[in-house]
Amino acid sequence: MNKPANPTKQSVSSYCYQCVAGPDLLKVDMADGVPYQVRPNGSAEEIHPAGGKVCVKAFGLIQKTNNPNRILTPMMRTNPKKGRNEDPKFEPVSWDVALGEIAKKLNKAQADGLNDASGFPRVAASFGGGGTPTAYMGTFPAFLAAWGSVDMSFGSGQGVKCYHSEHLYGELWHRAFTVSPDTPLVNLVLSFGANVEASGGVCGVRRHADARARGVKRIQVEPHLSVTGACSADWVPIKPKTDPAFMFALVHVLLHEIPRTRLDIAFLKRRTSSPYLIAPNGFYLRDPASKKPLIWDLKSSGTVPYDTADTDPALEGDFSVSGLEVGPDDVEWAHGEVTCQPAFGHLVAHVKPYSPEWAADICDVKAARIRDTAMQYIDHACVGETIEIDGKTLPFRPVAISLGKTVCNGWGGYECVWARTLMACLIGGLEVPGGTLGTTVRLNRPADNRWSSVVEGPDGFMNYPMNPTKKGEWHESSASRHAHQTLVPLAANSPWSQALGPTHLAWMMQKEGLDHLPVPTQPDVWFVYRTNPAISFWDTDAVSDVMANFPFTVCFAYTHDETNHMADILLPECTDLEGLQLIRIGGSKYVEQFWEHQGFALRDPASKPQGEAKDFTWIATELANRTGLLEKYNSAINKGAAGIRLFGQGYDFSLDPEQVHSVEDIWNNTCRAASAEITDGEESQGLDYFRENGFRTKPFPKEQWYLYPAMVEKDLRFELPYQERLLRIGQELGARLHERGITWWDRQLMEYEAMPHWQDLQGLWETALSDAYNIKIGDYPFWLLTARSMQYSWGGNAGIQMIHEVAGNVAGHGGVLMNPAAAKTLGLAEGDQVEISSPSGKTRGAVLLRQGIRPDTLLMIGQFDHWKTPFAKDLKTPSMNNLTPMMLELTDATGSGSDLVKVAVKKIGAAS
Amino acid sequence: MTRWAIVADLNRCVGCQTCTSACKHANATAPGIQWRKVLDFEVGEFPDVSRAFLPVGCMHCDEPPCLDVCPSTATGKRDDGIVTIDYDKCIGCAYCAVACPYQARFRVDAPSSAYKGRKMRHEVLREDPTRIGVAQKCTLCIDRIDDGMAQGLTPGIDAEATPACVNSCIAGALYMGDVDDQDSNVSKLLKENRHFRMHEDLGTGPGIYYLYDGEIGDSSAIEPAPMVAEPAGLAAVSSQLQTSWDWRAAANFTFGGTGTGLFAATVLAATFAPMLWVAQFLAMAFVGVGLFCVWLEIGRPWRFLNVFLHAKRSWMTREAIAAGAFFAFGGLGWLLGSVPLAVLAVLSGFVFLYCQGRMLNAAKGIPAWRQKGVVSLLFSTGLTEGAGLLAILVAITGFEGSDLRIITLMLIGLVALRHILWRSYRTALGEVGAPLGTFNALDRGYLNLSTVSQTVILVLLVVGLFNPIALIVAAALAVVTGWAFKFTLITKAAFNQGFAIERMPARGAGKSATGIKPGWTTA
Repeated sequence: MNKPANPTKQSVSSYCYQCVAGPDLLKVDMADGVPYQVRPNGSAEEIHPAGGKVCVKAFGLIQKTNNPNRILTPMMRTNPKKGRNEDPKFEPVSWDVALGEIAKKLNKAQADGLNDASGFPRVAASFGGGGTPTAYMGTFPAFLAAWGSVDMSFGSGQGVKCYHSEHLYGELWHRAFTVSPDTPLVNLVLSFGANVEASGGVCGVRRHADARARGVKRIQVEPHLSVTGACSADWVPIKPKTDPAFMFALVHVLLHEIPRTRLDIAFLKRRTSSPYLIAPNGFYLRDPASKKPLIWDLKSSGTVPYDTADTDPALEGDFSVSGLEVGPDDVEWAHGEVTCQPAFGHLVAHVKPYSPEWAADICDVKAARIRDTAMQYIDHACVGETIEIDGKTLPFRPVAISLGKTVCNGWGGYECVWARTLMACLIGGLEVPGGTLGTTVRLNRPADNRWSSVVEGPDGFMNYPMNPTKKGEWHESSASRHAHQTLVPLAANSPWSQALGPTHLAWMMQKEGLDHLPVPTQPDVWFVYRTNPAISFWDTDAVSDVMANFPFTVCFAYTHDETNHMADILLPECTDLEGLQLIRIGGSKYVEQFWEHQGFALRDPASKPQGEAKDFTWIATELANRTGLLEKYNSAINKGAAGIRLFGQGYDFSLDPEQVHSVEDIWNNTCRAASAEITDGEESQGLDYFRENGFRTKPFPKEQWYLYPAMVEKDLRFELPYQERLLRIGQELGARLHERGITWWDRQLMEYEAMPHWQDLQGLWETALSDAYNIKIGDYPFWLLTARSMQYSWGGNAGIQMIHEVAGNVAGHGGVLMNPAAAKTLGLAEGDQVEISSPSGKTRGAVLLRQGIRPDTLLMIGQFDHWKTPFAKDLKTPSMNNLTPMMLELTDATGSGSDLVKVAVKKIGAAS
Repeated sequence: MTRWAIVADLNRCVGCQTCTSACKHANATAPGIQWRKVLDFEVGEFPDVSRAFLPVGCMHCDEPPCLDVCPSTATGKRDDGIVTIDYDKCIGCAYCAVACPYQARFRVDAPSSAYKGRKMRHEVLREDPTRIGVAQKCTLCIDRIDDGMAQGLTPGIDAEATPACVNSCIAGALYMGDVDDQDSNVSKLLKENRHFRMHEDLGTGPGIYYLYDGEIGDSSAIEPAPMVAEPAGLAAVSSQLQTSWDWRAAANFTFGGTGTGLFAATVLAATFAPMLWVAQFLAMAFVGVGLFCVWLEIGRPWRFLNVFLHAKRSWMTREAIAAGAFFAFGGLGWLLGSVPLAVLAVLSGFVFLYCQGRMLNAAKGIPAWRQKGVVSLLFSTGLTEGAGLLAILVAITGFEGSDLRIITLMLIGLVALRHILWRSYRTALGEVGAPLGTFNALDRGYLNLSTVSQTVILVLLVVGLFNPIALIVAAALAVVTGWAFKFTLITKAAFNQGFAIERMPARGAGKSATGIKPGWTTA
């Protein structure tokens, strides 16, 4: 290749949405059409929460585009045998042949009925990156909408690598699919394993850096000193998976060791279920007429419905009362003159045993330190103070708690998210300035506005779209292979619900079905995009075996990888810098994406497609056309399936449903609709405008970062501390499952407690592993954990050399991290090659020593163990994924598990 | 005046490497080459551990060691403090790389690609042949600064005039500005925050300031970061063995010293005996071979004449000039059989030898080289090796007229002197401290200048006064131990300065803490 003389230079606007903490708005510089540099989009400085800066991952996009390892032509498998050790013998084919083959399978699936004999969709799809692939797949969602029945239960990390309990309970309690401190105002953050400096994106990093600069105190509680721990004022090296004990002890201190007056009593009385009286069977005592929960009014010295005006609800005390109790399946008990306590009183009694002294041994943290942490929390809470936001006076509570992965998923997740949200309630710090906030909604609707999702539900709480559990309403089977509607009421049934079901069950059941559920069939067609579950899931050998048995797999393939090794068709789509798309930006989104603006941003191609790569929108249109779905597809686009509705009040840029539209036409109309939406129909500039400006926004009220004003406006309460609704659906679910003969979910049913009890999670893991694998758990002395890497997480960029190079500057990458004292006992030195084995799998790598990790803990950053992905397969980097078994015993009620396993370490070679 | 500088707020830095990546994009550096990067430090022992991130790169020093040593004047320093490299002048001797105590300089000898052997189109587009085989480092995005200022923009304030690393920093941790302007962004930061500069004690006046604590008012001096010889997991930030100068550079010091020493010993011996002209030829051959070896090492060998361009400050230039004089006088003297010319050659050889010592000594990046005493030690071992070689030649050839006993006595004196200087050097190095690897290399084995080996030589030399075989063995050992020492000094003990963090930063409401100088010890 010759170097051109005097290349013509230009730049385009784009975005990076490789991770959930995006999008970052960026500029790409090109010379003679070759993209060579990514840089921040300076014009976004004023509207972007991080001043328009761009994450390190985005800088990998140049190599990602120009990578010589890319697949650049459609390919078809010629070896019908699938498996890791089988050469797929992919042969290049034309797009016409490849799409024709896919259309043939899809048309047959249509002819056979969209769902198979088990009621499962014949078409399945797996997308990675916490929903971010939608920012790159153009109009493919419209194709899926047009198709109608798609199974998205084959997870690529959802449930096992996410913040699962936070997602589900967070949405239930405060419309918080993800939870964040109000970082710009917070003064104290207790961070349990949250790794915001690695996974919070540029907004998270910038907000916390600004907070540190003004003197915020963050106490990081985690077994290893992560990047976030490094940036914290204090590090508490807690034993793995004992966070609930620490947090329960914090609650204990607040409720048993300080005066009540230091709590936000008004908040507890008016904005929580604290005053609701609890009847003898554990459900609310209700007014027999209205069936509203009753409270004890100190003013009138009697029971009144919770929403009675001018009351002073009691929070504690035994009251002799009468009323109605409504249990599962609407069973009713009439109570006359029974002694009842308000929920808060039950809470006080519930946490009495959980003192700091009790927690100290469990957590391996001194009681004084736990107690001091609780005192710091209350000392920073500013109970009674207010602040003005957008002209409105709101409570100001500058303390918050963050929870990380493994803390808030799997067993123990419920305890942690409950304690965290409860801690916020105790000081009136939930959804108020300075406190603990939700950032986005995914299960409730509408998804683009948290305030709008505040809809009145039963008993003074927000509504929640539970999967029904009542007799006659319960789904005996689900429209997914992981039974999310059947097993997990909290997973709801939004477009996101399948991703939030027990995704590992989908993989597990392909191996062995679960009694009394429909026969686990394979999908006729499986689409895979921007994910590599053969690496990113657990028990990767088993997952690979399952996908090797799928009859027809279509992978949108960037390079060869461990998943598309099992594919039948590989389709090279335009990568991030080649495709055209418009997305929504701003408002409040994942993680710490709190904007004061909202609008749209364009991904303008910085390069012509390499080889025969095609824009995803073109592919989607072709598939729709070849499957007879063009009209439905175009209609879906018009209705907003690709992100933006093309018509609204005073404007209509709908596509002609009958016609095949070009990629540019589709996005031009979308741009025009976006312009109209943002200007209330006043303007309608199209693609050219966005190409020139990159993005278009309007102000987003900061007040809407906080749910509290919407709760006050609708006079609603947060459903804490007492979970009557969960208690009810748990009992109903148990009844339904037992009626069907299902007893294998009984352990999970135990999670449906009104207030969670502490459980020995380390013991739970050890027992489960011992029983399942018939091993002596003492032979596996280390707890193995993982952590996110800012350079890699969600990026699908393990094959990008530059990312590998710069990540190497951050300690912990490329091996297994262990404490030097622990290493010494095993005769290990820095760089020694070791085999790390769990009861279910093995991996190999180099020993990396750091003092910032507990001696009983090992850490493997990121997800590796590649054997096919070019470049990555030569890294010899260990990964915990294949060491982590998929086990029903280690699956919680929400359907998630934790990245946690016990392992042994054996030296296999000296440092080279 | 203007003095551009970088201020890094360590309370803000999260080690994300976005600046590293942005620099790579902006400057199209080769795979593995990072003009800007962020180091990951850890201090303490479990469970009392803290961790911090430290952006590093060229410090654009007030007194850049790289500038002084550069023989070609390729390295320059502008009035605004930016240290520059003229790629068209640089001979690629890598002297600047070993002189830099911040490991900020690199040399790439061949075009490379991220995916071996398969160049990507942007790599082809941005390939810069002028950067092959020459020194390269952070330019502070000099073009952005100059172009920006030409447009009336202010570096450090306006993105278009600001270095890419600063522009890209997602944490707002990097600032750039004029520290000579009391009202500038960076001057204000330095006034309001406690800060340090790395390796301040070396007197280089580095241009990166690290804010570590927002506490103002406490003016107590920062204690030097404690040395920790073998901190777990800090290999990446600890002192490393330099790789810029290998056996070829070592050969120059080895043979150059021996050659000039032999020439001097030969001429000195001629005061009481006929001149051993063949030894003079051999001496010049030694020096010539040494210089040829080092020529093989430089990245741009055909620009070797540029080595003569910096006589004002570079000891490498002075060494080259002295070598020229040595060969001119020595060669002419040898051809004409002229003793006066030979004497002039001896004097030139002494200058050459002295320059070699000063050359090493000026390399501030290598603690073992910059240590006081290295000059006299190199000088003495050169003379010792020369005298030893002369003794061997005379003993073997039985050159008539030479008084082997006087040569032996001279050798005894030189070996003793060399050992005294070695002891002095080693003791002083042990007191000030150096990388652990340096001590390990210098003290390893017996083929060195240790008391054991040198005592054996001295005993053998005394015996050699009466026994020619013992003399030959002793003289050979005197030569070989000198060579081994210099080879070790250049290639095995030459651990670089490494990095250090003077203070661990206060994070938010936390407190700053003692830093660390990893990989260092006293002994």
